Amino acid sequence: MLSDSIIILKKELRRIFTDRRMVAMLVLLPLLMLPVMYSVMAKMGSSRDSDISSFRSTICIYEGVGNEDVMGPFIEAISTINTELEIVQLSEVDAVKLAITEKDKELLLVMPDNFHESLTGCSTFDIAVYFNSTADYSQHAYSRVNDVMNSLNGDIVRERILERDLSEEMLTVFTINEVPMKYDLAKEGSVIGKIISILLPFFIIIYLFVNSMKVGLDTVAGEKERGTLAVTLVNQVGRLSIVIGKMMSVMIAAIVGAASSVIGLIIGSRYFMGMFGASGAAISSYSMSTMHILQFAIVIIPLAVLVASMVLIVSTFARNTKEGQGMIMPVYFVVMIMGMATMQTGDVAPKWMLSTPIFNSLLVLKEIFMQGASWSSIITASLSSIVFAAILIYLTLRMFSSEKILFRI
Amino acid sequence: MLRVENLRKVYKNRKKNITETVEAVKDVSFECSPGEIFGLLGPNGAGKTTTLRCISTLIKPTSGNVFIDRYNVLDDEKAIRSRIGFLTSDMKLDGFFTPDYMMDYFGALNKMNKKEIQLRKEYLFNELQMSDFIYKKIDKLSTGMKQKTAIAISLIHDPEVIIFDEPTNGLDVITSKSVTDFLKKYAQAGKTIVISTHIMNVAEKICDRFGILVEGEMKEIGSLENILDNNSSDSLEDVFFGYILPDPEGEVNHAQ
Repeated sequence: MLSDSIIILKKELRRIFTDRRMVAMLVLLPLLMLPVMYSVMAKMGSSRDSDISSFRSTICIYEGVGNEDVMGPFIEAISTINTELEIVQLSEVDAVKLAITEKDKELLLVMPDNFHESLTGCSTFDIAVYFNSTADYSQHAYSRVNDVMNSLNGDIVRERILERDLSEEMLTVFTINEVPMKYDLAKEGSVIGKIISILLPFFIIIYLFVNSMKVGLDTVAGEKERGTLAVTLVNQVGRLSIVIGKMMSVMIAAIVGAASSVIGLIIGSRYFMGMFGASGAAISSYSMSTMHILQFAIVIIPLAVLVASMVLIVSTFARNTKEGQGMIMPVYFVVMIMGMATMQTGDVAPKWMLSTPIFNSLLVLKEIFMQGASWSSIITASLSSIVFAAILIYLTLRMFSSEKILFRI
Repeated sequence: MLRVENLRKVYKNRKKNITETVEAVKDVSFECSPGEIFGLLGPNGAGKTTTLRCISTLIKPTSGNVFIDRYNVLDDEKAIRSRIGFLTSDMKLDGFFTPDYMMDYFGALNKMNKKEIQLRKEYLFNELQMSDFIYKKIDKLSTGMKQKTAIAISLIHDPEVIIFDEPTNGLDVITSKSVTDFLKKYAQAGKTIVISTHIMNVAEKICDRFGILVEGEMKEIGSLENILDNNSSDSLEDVFFGYILPDPEGEVNHAQ
């Protein structure tokens, strides 16, 4: 039986890997597309940031009544920002607010009347800062003004303390981790592993599934559509051999495609990992020991078998590839939700997740990337993938014996 | 020796909770000896393809059985498949591969070793005059070349019984002749051949005995002379059309 499966596997792999379009779609495209996509995203992000920070915003100030003599430090502080300052009158405040809403001006500071009394009397007063959260320039000006105003606040407090002959240190009761030392006691490599563990299992399952779909829907539904399946069925080959051979070819193509996508992702990661606070260099420094690579293989191969079996059963049931594509989409969404849920799961996953196929494999992959997976969870995840894949293969085999499904009579 | 005994095939279609049954083949029996070409004649939808699919083990009969020597389709699927070469018009070859590769592939699936495959390829490529296109992708071949390729593949394991559904359908005159000549030669070599067709002159030229299948029922069976005598006709075509067309004048008197 196995020799027949291997004959079928070889033919299926020949069909996949000697087809230039399929190789381009499965291997080359993700390998080139992902780094290009992420570098373009990163370039666009950095050019947007530099555009925002170099933009000269218009900040309007209403000084309030009776504050002429105390506005100096406030104006001076705001002038340190790259800005066009406009002093406005009370009658103009509403028009300025509208201009901010319309994104014509960036910010309006409204000082309370007679706040100099609060200043000298050491009581708190509130400055209203109007901005537009949907305008990048306004949002940026707001955060810059917040920074300089907080710094001015600190300067004024410091002045008051010095006037009273008190030590500035009074303001700080204690500090945390100010002495330069290594405080994070996480295992070497596990910090970057934590970031990788959030992202990679999700990408792995998506790439496995998408690549299985690219190949798997054609392998039975496509053959039915082209009328080529019956030719194999009238030969001296068992239907189980056909199912196993086809499943293995889908699995291998899915693994090759996913590996190429993950390599593309790793190359592109030096651009997008910045979003998660990690540098490209930190990613390059991440490595897995032989043991972790072995653990990874023990989990990923049964997971790929399970995914290939899921696609194969849909492919067998469908009349043609188009119908198969329609049928597989709900399954794909469920798998995608599982991947996303894994990203949100904390260190201790709920029990139901640990006993659900795909979920448990993704959780174990997370642990492997953080270099802390237990052998019992690895074996449990692998076994559950194998058991569910076996059930799906059995059902696919039943479909292969059904004239109604196979020939749609 | 091929023997079809009381073959019956019923399809069930379920539409909107109503199960509809269609009896595609009704109690069909016939046999075909080594060296003989049996022609199964009938219009579209007569049950020819279903009968041939049952013989090939592609589908199971609802009742009745098909025997090849001591093996039957219900109990010895694999043994039957090793003894038949089957080709129907709705079976296509994967256009991505070459005829040469497909011969290797199906030879391996039929448990042949490389040497056996090579010898068989040389024989079939030569007999069917395929040498010019064996390394071209099937997608790039003409209809006739594709049909020759399909015939060669179905015969790779040198089967005793050959079941061909409409083997000359859609072929030009020259290719059609080369296929029929090949079948005659193959029968002379002691093979058992069953073909289905609705092209009467092809049937008359190559078949030794005929069965006329209409709406799943075997209406006539026998040699050309027997059928013409039974129906007081001088043309197989007239007998055939007498069954499938309305008979206003009663020109052909069927034996029944």
